[in-house]
Order: sequence, then structure tokens, then C-alpha cells
Amino acid sequence: MSGFRLNLRDGLGRAVDHDSKINFTFDGKNYEGRKGDTLASALMANGVSIVARSFKYHRPRGIFSAGSEEPNALVTVHSGPRTEPNIRATELELYEGLEVKSQNRWPSVNLDLMAVNQLPGKAFSAGFYYKTFMGPSRPGHKATQFWWFCEQLIRRAAGLGKGASQADPDKYGRMNAFCDVLVVGAGPAGISAAERAASAGAKVILCDESAVAGGSLLSSPELLDGEPAFDWAEERLAELAEHENVTVLTRTTVQSMFDDNTYLAVERVADHIKRPAKHQVRQRAWNIRCKSAVIATGAIERPIVFAGNDRPGVMLADSARRYVVEFGVSPGKAVCVFTNNDTGWLAARDMAKNGVIVEAIVDVRKDVPDNIRAAGEESRAEIFLGAAITATNGFQSLSGAQISEFTETSGEVGRKLKKIGCDCIAVSGGWSPAFHLTSQQGEKPVWDAELQAFLPGGAISAWHGAGAMAGKFGLRHAFRSGEEAAVKALADAGLGEGDSDVPRIEGDEIDYAPAPVFEINSGGKAFVDLQHDVTSEDVRLAHREGFISVEHLKRYTTLGMATDQGKTSNMSGLAIMAEARGKPIPEVGTTRFRPPYTPTALGAIAGESYGHLASERLTPMHDWHVAEGANMYANGPWLRPESYNRSGESVEQAYIREAAAVRKGVGLVDVSTLGKIDVQGPDAAEFLNRIYSNGFAKLPVDKARYGLMLREDGMLFDDGTTWRLEENRYLMTTTTAGAGQVMDHLEYHRDVVWPDLKVALTSVSDEWAGVAVAGPKARNVLKGCVSDCGVSNEDLPFMGVQKANIAGIPVWIARLSFSGEMAYEVYCGAGWGQELWNVLMKAGKRFNITPYGLEALSTLRIEKGHVAGPELNGRTTPYDLGLGGMVSSKKNFVGATLLKRDAFHEEDRLQLVAIKSIDGQRIRGGSHLVKGNKDEPGRSEGNTTSTCFSPELECYISLAMLEGGAARYGEKIYATNPVRDCHVAVEVVSPHIVDPDGGRMHG
Amino acid sequence: MVDFPDRISPLDAVAEPGVFGTDTNSPKVFLSENLCGSLIQVQAWPDTISVVEKALETLTKLAVPKAPETAHSENVSIIQTGPGRWLIDAEVEGLEDKLRSKISAKNGAVTGLTHARVVVEVKGPKAAWVLASGIAIDFSLKAFPVGTSQVSHHHEIGVTIHRTSEESFDLYVFTSFARGIWHWITTASSEVGYAVS
Repeated sequence: MSGFRLNLRDGLGRAVDHDSKINFTFDGKNYEGRKGDTLASALMANGVSIVARSFKYHRPRGIFSAGSEEPNALVTVHSGPRTEPNIRATELELYEGLEVKSQNRWPSVNLDLMAVNQLPGKAFSAGFYYKTFMGPSRPGHKATQFWWFCEQLIRRAAGLGKGASQADPDKYGRMNAFCDVLVVGAGPAGISAAERAASAGAKVILCDESAVAGGSLLSSPELLDGEPAFDWAEERLAELAEHENVTVLTRTTVQSMFDDNTYLAVERVADHIKRPAKHQVRQRAWNIRCKSAVIATGAIERPIVFAGNDRPGVMLADSARRYVVEFGVSPGKAVCVFTNNDTGWLAARDMAKNGVIVEAIVDVRKDVPDNIRAAGEESRAEIFLGAAITATNGFQSLSGAQISEFTETSGEVGRKLKKIGCDCIAVSGGWSPAFHLTSQQGEKPVWDAELQAFLPGGAISAWHGAGAMAGKFGLRHAFRSGEEAAVKALADAGLGEGDSDVPRIEGDEIDYAPAPVFEINSGGKAFVDLQHDVTSEDVRLAHREGFISVEHLKRYTTLGMATDQGKTSNMSGLAIMAEARGKPIPEVGTTRFRPPYTPTALGAIAGESYGHLASERLTPMHDWHVAEGANMYANGPWLRPESYNRSGESVEQAYIREAAAVRKGVGLVDVSTLGKIDVQGPDAAEFLNRIYSNGFAKLPVDKARYGLMLREDGMLFDDGTTWRLEENRYLMTTTTAGAGQVMDHLEYHRDVVWPDLKVALTSVSDEWAGVAVAGPKARNVLKGCVSDCGVSNEDLPFMGVQKANIAGIPVWIARLSFSGEMAYEVYCGAGWGQELWNVLMKAGKRFNITPYGLEALSTLRIEKGHVAGPELNGRTTPYDLGLGGMVSSKKNFVGATLLKRDAFHEEDRLQLVAIKSIDGQRIRGGSHLVKGNKDEPGRSEGNTTSTCFSPELECYISLAMLEGGAARYGEKIYATNPVRDCHVAVEVVSPHIVDPDGGRMHG
Repeated sequence: MVDFPDRISPLDAVAEPGVFGTDTNSPKVFLSENLCGSLIQVQAWPDTISVVEKALETLTKLAVPKAPETAHSENVSIIQTGPGRWLIDAEVEGLEDKLRSKISAKNGAVTGLTHARVVVEVKGPKAAWVLASGIAIDFSLKAFPVGTSQVSHHHEIGVTIHRTSEESFDLYVFTSFARGIWHWITTASSEVGYAVS
């Protein structure tokens, strides 16, 4: 191929700005293009014929198409973190300073030493991966190791581009859009559908994947209402864009069709400029929900497979025509058209009309209609009927084609007719409707024998095909079917029919049905799938080896895989397999398409959701914690202080200091993260009594009670205290991480199981800030700042709840203890949380009050033997955790029945114990409890759950679940963690290490 | 009137007044925080809806909405957030106790949410566009008329949205998630330019 820019004039090269100059580089070499060019058209205009190397054999490849179906011309754009591989040159819009690199070559695309892969080409045939280097997968086996070694080399030698390893610096946006009618594709059928739908008052979204909408109208030679199709389309699209009910999205590919009329489209907002402006997104993902859709995605021209068909210079005929008409670029100095249908002839005529030399038109058919023959004559090309191209010549790119006799009906190749010098073969093997979107929904396509193509099957959701996508080829059919589809879509949306406005068309009327010829089998390497280097012989080999199902064919040969998903190859591969099997094509079947239609940047799918997996919840005192140097730690959705490390302090040193300060004096901790649920109603007490395993019916007002919540299967689900604030009003607290699940659990039982109960449930987790003041000096701290309520043991006994006031802030104070020390939980409105914290810190200053984090909180409760998330792990019962006394036998409650299962009461169940290190060694989290020494540890009899260094005992301790543990206090066993090479001698003790009689809490 | 300390909003530290984003000369979105004096949720039982409606009408002098709509006077808004459930947004503080005294447990539940929500006002010609970028509901006037409200979510975080005019919305967001929502709104608004007041 030796493409060049034609003399631009009116009507030729309408897509480009004739007077502009755009500088760009390809593999470091400077080139010049025009505004409006794609990279492909600009490279072609500069005579660049080799733009890529093939996947497996590293064969030189040129530009094959002019759209998103491109299998060959994949390039890498940008560099560093913006590096993006496998961009189709046929879609990449040229801009000043564009830097592009070819890929899968070394050292250059013109001289690729990896092309040595062609020499053992047959070894790389279909099924190569499955046949070669097979060996047992047993680790250490030599064959396996050899395979792994070779696999690395093979992966380096083959492949597509390389992505960036750094984080993508660009922003990606998202949009949720709703409309009555979504129109996919703004060609003649799409424009017609959008206009009709808009005329009925429908809210319409019209998407087109190209920078300039119009589809085939952009290069169509027809006159519409007396004006060139390009102008007509431009005017109509401008009118649509101005319509208040219509949104026109260009550079927007509808990638996926989902259930319930939901579509994902990706808009390339800033891919046509060097880099997005500050604050601008690079791409935007549109979630479009419509009442109905018109799918007008056109059709993709397919090639005929023949020997030497992958040389740079061989390309699709209509694409060659488009480069001439739209971009004013000739694909070669001498073009040969090879076709099995009428559209190839029109391509020849249109190219010749615009100054391209068409040397020959080769048609497999014996005869063609008169108007087509006339078009051929207009092209001044030599005509070969009943003929085919059977071989090509050239070194790096095409220099000639061998034309031979061909019998369409038998597929026989006859005598050689002529060898023609040409640097471009424009080939047309017919058209395949682009029904990818509807296929994604699992709809089975149907075979159209006349068009020799699959058409979309019956719709299982509200969409209607129009234009070539639905097998309605030609402008007249496109406009008509667009309107018809729009009327159906309007009916789906409950709207009227709207007005018809089909233009008057002057131009060709042709038959789009091709001859059923997909391959010229004349020997030589003939490629079916250009992107994955799959040849016609590979397909036949798959057949010979029994991989005859289309699904097996795809996986065995990789036909139709990779970035183009076989847009130009599937049909040919299928036809060759059908021929090999001696069956008609529809009996062989076809693969379905899956989303997305074209490769989609992961950034577009992730949108703004990067850097974190979920929104973070912050407590009212968050900024204070951060300012004090706390390590913030994710606990459920919340960020909590792990510990307040002083200079040079490790987390362990910090939490030991903090926990010790609480035991000896007083500390305060932010407990705003606890789940809090407002439970109200005349049946609130009864509701809680059924939810918790222990009794709540008689809980007095101004009292709190610790409660256990079970799942229906009797396993522990969550725990917490519930405060009776008024006769019919409770404040339930839950674990931090379990709050959402508890709310779901409560609502389910209220709404589904006991709908007769009048109970209102409202999450008030965000209403209340919570601060726990704990330690022997806790009461002293409160005494210094609390008014309206006494804090003595008489005024506020253990589990008592009182309304009070601290520095003008209305608060609830509950005498609760998670640490095992005398402790109070003080709750106030979240907006006053920081102020409350400040007042408590000030009041506690003279008692050396110490803020403590999650680690110290955990240490304190481990020492006390209070259970938390690691013990409430969904596999434990109240009995396992020594909480059997909280299982009421006098009432029914959720989980009561299945809790009675025998297995839950076996003596050797895992039961809660504590273990302490005997020789001071650290017990590692995740350790198993065994009886044997390190060499012969024996079987696991349990596991640790919560581990810490105990400031109280000055050794490492852990809560653990141990078989029959409650009866094994005093036993000496081991906590083993082979992964961390730890085997620690431990003693089994009661989990209630600190203050077992509760004197401190109750004091 | 009890003199409570000033409340600290999680947005105080991040909502810096000024004009930001692409077009600082002509911002398309205007953001501010509306501090409500009282935000109370009232729920009726299935058989007491009319009783509670009457109590609310007596107290607020407003016709209580019976659909997901909003009734509002100069200083009180009632947003229906579900059948027999309303959110009362009032300038006056201490409304919770007053409502509780009028609506007994026999007839319904009164829950204070004044601290539990931050109300972010999003207005301007691109307000709906910005909101649609993160909230999957139809913001067209036909589907979401002025004076109505919708309960939806952003990234699975619940949000109640009240359309106060063609181009302005009040978002009732969870206090603990307020900064996350604010970060999203400002990031999305930066594409068109936004002003914070």
C-alpha cells in the first residue's frame, strides 16, 4: 500500500479540514495530517503501509478497515501512566502532538526480528498451547517447570500492547440518564428513528461511536432531498441536537445491553485532545435506562479469505472507499477490487470518480446486473467475472495479485488469468449485521440465506432493529425501517406514532446479497482472523481434531478472540467449518457476543470509585483524632483511631501504654461508631424480647441490658446493650461492623415475621456521638463536668441510664463497661460530639486522662473476656462463649428452636477460653492450638481469636476457641502458627482474666 | 429557649467558600449547607396515619403530603419519605419534644435526626446534571417535579432529595458520610465550575 492524499476539493474529504496541518509522530518519526483525520487516514496519506505486527507470527500488517472492527492497526498512545495499548488507529482522532507507537515488534515495525516466528509457523498452529509442553502439574516435575519457562518466553514473543503499571492519572465520570427511546447508531436508520421519536414528544438519546455522526451518509454518493447525503446528515443532526427532547452523543459507543432496558455507553470526552483539561474527565460512562431502544448499528463488511490476504495493502472495499471519499486519501496507487457482491463495484466506481486508479474488479460471480456493470465501466477498471484472487505478491507490503478462474458454485479454482500489479486490494465478502448488543442478551441469531448473514433473533427486551443491523440494507430501507422501529419503540413508551419525514433519495439501488463465497482455497497461507493469526488451515485442523462445535473452534484456535472479538473473521471461520463439516452454516451455529462491544478502559467502568472500595464513615471527633496523630483504621465502614502513637512509639507500645492508663487511671475512647437503632412503639418491648435470647420485657426505664442476638439457626449474630429510655422507647446499640446487618435483621422480622407488632425502627447511628470514659477515675472525671444528674453508685448504678447535661450539652449517660473497669458511655448529638470530647478531656486533665484507640479498647476487653467480632464469627453459640446463662428458657426468641440441636451441646465443641504465653513469647493471631511440640504438633484442637499483650499480666494472651475448653483450664498446650514459624507454649485459663467477680465495674 | 452550644458540621472543615473548578467566572453549580434547627422523623402505624397527619397539621399548619411530596411554609418543610412516614425540617430548635408530646406511642414514633443528617443545597443550571452523575434517578422535571422528594442512594449510601425549585435540590445526607458525599459533589461539579457559600 502506498497511500497518498488526493487533491482535496469540494465534496472530497469532507471529514477533514482541508487547510489545517496537524503534526504527529509514529514510532518517533514526524508526520503531518489534517484536522479530522484518524491516525489511520493520516498514516495512509503519508504512505505508511506497515502499522503493526501480527499477534503470533509477527507478520507485517496494514490498515484493514475504517472503523471499530479494525483487527490489524492497533497502536499504543501516550507514555508513562497514561500509556494505553491496543487503540485502533482507525478510530484514534489526530491531534497536534499525538505520539503513537506500534506494538508487538522488535526492534521496529518495519524490521521485526521476532518475525522469525514465521519459520516454525506450523508448530504454532491451532491448539498449540494445548498440545505443547504438556506435563503433570505436580510441583517440581521437570516437564511442568519447562513449560513454565517456555510459557514466559512465548508470552514475551506473542501478544498485543503493554499497559501502564502506574496509576491512571485521569479522571473518569459517570452519568445516569433516562429516556423514552434510546437510538444506538446515528446513520440513516438512526437519524430517521430519532427524528420520528422526537416528533412524538419522546425523550430521545442518540448515540454514535464516531466523532462525526452520520454513519454511511458521510460517504454516501446519494442525494437526499436534492442535496449531498453528507450535508443532509449534518443539517438533520444539528436540528436533532437543538431539539429540547433529544440528546445527541457522539464519540459514544454503546458497549452493553443489560436487562430491563439498561445500556452502558462510554463517551470519549477527551480522547481527541492531548490530555484532558484540568477538571475535565477523560471518558464518561453513561448508564442509560430507556423505555425502548432502536438498535441501528449498521453492518460490518467482511472479507473473502484468500492466500496472502494479510499483506499490508489488503483491506475492506468499503473502508477503502471511505478513506477516499471522507478523508480524501487514496489507499494505494493502483487498486484492485475483489468482491462477491455489488457493493465492491460501487466502491470501485466511487474511488475512481475521485481520482484513484482502479486496475481491476474481480468478482466471483459469472454475471452481474447491468447497473453494476455500468458502475464498473465508470471505474475504467479491467473486469474479471467468475474469477478470484488466488495469491498476492510483495515483500513487506503488497505489489501484485494473481487472478484466476473461479467457479462460484463449486469453489473450484481454475487456470490463472492474469497477474496484476497493485498496492491495494479492496475486498468485499458481503456484510454482517452488527447485532452484538442484542446478542449480549442471549438472543439467538437467525440465518438469512439470501443475505448470507445472521440477523438478530427475536427481542426478549424492548428493542427494535433498524437499517443494516436488521438486514435492511440500502438507504431506502434504512430510513423506512428506522421510522418503523421508532413507531414500535414509541408504542413501548406509551407514546403516539409521531410524524414521518423520510427524504427523497436519488441514487443507486442495488442488491446487497452476496454470492455464498467466503474463501478461495488455492493453497498458501490464508488468514481468517487477522488479529490472532488464525488461518483457514487452523480451522480445518480444528475440524480434523474434533473441535467442531463453534464454541470449541473459538477456544481451540482463538478465532474471534482478542480486542476485535472477531468482527471481521467470525463469519468466514464459521463458513469454513461448515464447509469442512459438510453442513449448512446455520446448522453449525454461531457464537454469541458478550459485553463490551469494543474494548473499554477500566477507568471508565470504575468511574470515581478508585483509591477506596466504599465510602468511609467519619465520627464527629475524626479531625481531633487525626490532629493528635492517631493511626486511622478501617473498622467496618468507619475510620477509627487504632492508637495515638507518641513520637517513636510503635502501635504495640502505644496500645499497651493506653490500656495500662485506663486500668490505673482513666481513659476515653470514641465509641460513636457503635450501631445505634431507635426502637419505638407500644410493642417495642415485646419485639426486643423476641429478638434477643435473654429477657427484655421487664427491663425498667432508665436501665440498660446486654443482649444476645441469634440467627434463626441458633448461631450468635450480634450483641450490644439496649437502653430503655422511656416506656415505649429504646436505644439499641450494636457492634460497629454489624450495624447494617442488624438493621436488616430487625426490619425483616418486623415487616415479614411479626407484621402485627407496632414497632418503629430508625437508624440513629449518625445522630449520636458516643464517648466512653473508663477507669477507676472515670467517676471523678464526670463529677467535674456533669450537671442535672448524680454519678454516684446510688444515682447511676451499673447498667443505669440517665439524662444529664455537660457544659450545656444535653447528654445520655449509661453506666456500661466494655473494658471491665468502672466506665460510662456518654452520648450527645453528633454536632456537639467534639465539644463533649473537649470538655471531658479538660475535666480529666488533672487525672491524666488518656485517649485510647481501637487496639487498647480490644486489649481491655480481651483481658476482661468480653466477646467481639472475632468470637461472634457466625460459628459460635451462646454456650460456646460461656453465655448460656443469657439463653432464656421462659420465652421464645429468634434462634431458640435450632439452638436446641444436640450438636450445639456436645462437650467437645470449641469453647471460649483464654490462653497466656508461658515463656513470654508472642502469640500470633491466627494460631492453632495443639498438644504436641513443634516437630510433632498433632492435630488442631482450636484456634486463637483475639490476641494482645496484656499490660495487666505483662504477657501475651489470647482469647481462643478450644475443644471442650471450659473444662481444660490449667492445661499446657501450644499455640502454633507455622506460617510465621511460631510455636508458643501456653496455659489455658479462664477468659475472665481481669476482675473476674466484676468488682471494678460495679464499684 | 434553651441555649445550646453551636453544632459543628462535618463540612465545616472542608466546605471552603469560594469558586472552584473549570469555569470560575461563571460557575454552574452553587453549593451550601443548610443548617436546620430541627429534623424529626415521624412515623405512624398503619391504622393511625390519619391521626398523625392531623397532629402534624395542627402543629405545623401545613397540609401533610400524602405522596412523596413536600409541604412547606416559611420555616417548616414536611417531606413524605414513605407511607405514613415524614421528615420534618424546621428552623426552630427543640421540635422533637413538642412532637413527642403531641404524638403518643399509641399513634406513632417520633425520632430526632437533627444531628444525623447534613443538608446540602445543590443549585444552579448544572445541579441536576451533577446529581445525575452519582444518583441513579431521573432528574427531569417530568419525573421529579418541583416540590417532590425522592429517597435514593449514592454508592449505596442513602440520601433523601427534595427538589425545591427547577434548579435547586436539598440533599439530606448521613452525617458520617457527609464528607464523602461532599467530595463527590465537588469533584463532579468541578467539571462545570462551582461556588461554595
